[in-house]
Amino acid sequence: MSTTQRILPKGVSEADFDAALARFREIVGADGVLTEGGQLAPYTKIMMAGDDRDYIPSAAVMPTGAEQVQEVVRICNEFKVPIWTISTGKNLGYGSAAPGETGQVILDLHRMNRILEVDPESCTALVEPGVTYQQLHDYIREKGYKLWLSVPAPSAIAGPVGNTLDRGVGYTPYGEHFMFQCGMEVVLANGEMIRTGMGGIENSTSWQVFKWGYGPYLDGLFSQSNYGVVTKMGLWLMPEPPAYRPFIIQYPDPEDIEEIVEIMRPLRISQVIPNAVVIVHTLWDAGTHVERKTYYDGSESIPREAIERIKADEGIGEWNIYAALYGTPEQIEVNWNIIEQAFGKSGKAKMMYGEEAEKRGGGFEYRSALMRGDMNLQEFGLYNWRGGGGSMWFAPVSQAKGSETRDQTELAQQILGKYGFDYVAEYIVGWRDMHHVIDLLYNRQDPEETKRAHDCFAELIDEFAKRGYGLYRTNNEFMEQVAGTFGEPLREVHRTLKNALDPNGILSPGKSGIRQ
Amino acid sequence: MNLTRRQLMKNSLLLGAAMPLSLGAAWAADSGLAPSPVHGPIRLYGVDRSATELGLGLRQQGWEPRYEGRLDPLALNALPTGSLATGFTDEAGLVLLTSLLAGRGRVLALGRHEAGRHRLLSHRGPLVEPLSGAAGGWQAALGREYARLALAEDEGRHAQAIVRPAARGASAAELSFLIRV
Repeated sequence: MSTTQRILPKGVSEADFDAALARFREIVGADGVLTEGGQLAPYTKIMMAGDDRDYIPSAAVMPTGAEQVQEVVRICNEFKVPIWTISTGKNLGYGSAAPGETGQVILDLHRMNRILEVDPESCTALVEPGVTYQQLHDYIREKGYKLWLSVPAPSAIAGPVGNTLDRGVGYTPYGEHFMFQCGMEVVLANGEMIRTGMGGIENSTSWQVFKWGYGPYLDGLFSQSNYGVVTKMGLWLMPEPPAYRPFIIQYPDPEDIEEIVEIMRPLRISQVIPNAVVIVHTLWDAGTHVERKTYYDGSESIPREAIERIKADEGIGEWNIYAALYGTPEQIEVNWNIIEQAFGKSGKAKMMYGEEAEKRGGGFEYRSALMRGDMNLQEFGLYNWRGGGGSMWFAPVSQAKGSETRDQTELAQQILGKYGFDYVAEYIVGWRDMHHVIDLLYNRQDPEETKRAHDCFAELIDEFAKRGYGLYRTNNEFMEQVAGTFGEPLREVHRTLKNALDPNGILSPGKSGIRQ
Repeated sequence: MNLTRRQLMKNSLLLGAAMPLSLGAAWAADSGLAPSPVHGPIRLYGVDRSATELGLGLRQQGWEPRYEGRLDPLALNALPTGSLATGFTDEAGLVLLTSLLAGRGRVLALGRHEAGRHRLLSHRGPLVEPLSGAAGGWQAALGREYARLALAEDEGRHAQAIVRPAARGASAAELSFLIRV
């Protein structure tokens, strides 16, 4: 099958699109505008169960500064060309770098990659959207600052602006990234630029230290939205603690999730355990370095007996808790004693740290790296678990309550089992909430399996919503459906804001289900 | 990552150098190698026989493959603009590779080589020769086709499914790529 047909933005004539491209080239240079198929191919790499033909960009534009972004959006308004904004384009499992729909122009901000400031005293940073965690990490090390980042699993290649704006999480005490964001510069759809928080005050020294500014707090409007293009963002960095103790607690049985969460909740709320803890199921823990076919080659969900063999071979539990303590050695010792006492009561938990944990293997090494904000790409190994290139992260939120967690786990396993998929999952424990992240892995090369994965994901959304569970984030294919679960009145407010801020609907139409 | 001499030997890549010159020359002649590379270097990734054979196919068409060992997609960032790279990787490598190319390079071709079928996606027009031939296995034939696509100037996206004859050990899927950074 051969395709050479040019993809134009919806409702835009070829002449107008050519004129817009010519203007883009004047602004960002000829090498900053991509139109050739081979160059656009990385923007069509989708892992979700959608039709490839629904996610083909018309072009990509790569500005190098905020002023260029202003000019680009003015041109888009003139020609009614829709753009889909990405920062580093590594939103893997949630849509990657693909546009929201065919015919959008990718506004790729990866060339805007300046680290504008890192203040080692206030422990803050101000960065552009193209800065990667690796880049910021290297910069901090080069300068000799005693600061740690909080990074998501694809740390080295993702960036703080994109991850924070999509409300991603990391694994340190600063793991709820949007909570630790402070101040933005935003280009609005009309080309105007604003600074949020204290940034509107000329020569303000508190832009990166005081989140709220004066009047309505706006930063949230620019997360998971399409109301503006964030061109700078401040974030808080964690001071390097004098001591650090990563540890594992593993439990052997499926029903243990209830006990784990009941013990964990008060420890997290009181900050005895300060970081974003993960409770990892067997298949996720093993799936980062083991292939499914080694244990089971069938098309149904992997059976219980195979899971038990994996647990035995790998020396891992049904549930594997990765957490860490930070502070002085004395503080760590006190908190460790509290944790040992709490988890030791039932006699089911196996607790390890130091050499014992390192010998245990599994995911300890890379989890230890992530919990101190070091760069790591080990979790990409999950894509080898089943093979075939399909991956969608289903991520409902729950309260940190044992009964709720068990209910979610059983519901997910039941629906995944019905469609023949594996429960490859982990819980990320916030202060009072849990992000239940399930990687729906499937073979995208098989149309029947792809359709099954699509139907499975759709059913997961609906059935979870019926029980009061909503998603915190999703991929392009399901943004509309997920938005629907949050109710029409909220959607109407989103639409009203969209119409007010972007009357021509040029910014990322469809993001989070928001359109004119 | 460059392969050590020991690894190269293991992968048969130094076969010619390890054998008497005349035998090496005879092998080269049998393999249909071009007398000397005319198109320049191309980075070749992979650590098993498939990469070796792919390199053979490239050599036959006048390219100079440089063996880099297992693909570390992050290393692609360090390649000079215009560099060509090809080879085999796993699912995780392919996800990283394609993702890292956004705004930084071109996907010329991707291949999924499964039991019973090759699926090829080319942005340089279709493959024109069958993935088999006297000189080497399907991987060498793929190398010859990738050698041609690396020079092609077509811009059409072309998807093909080609029957892969059953062979021992052919159940495992292999993933190939041809890119320019």
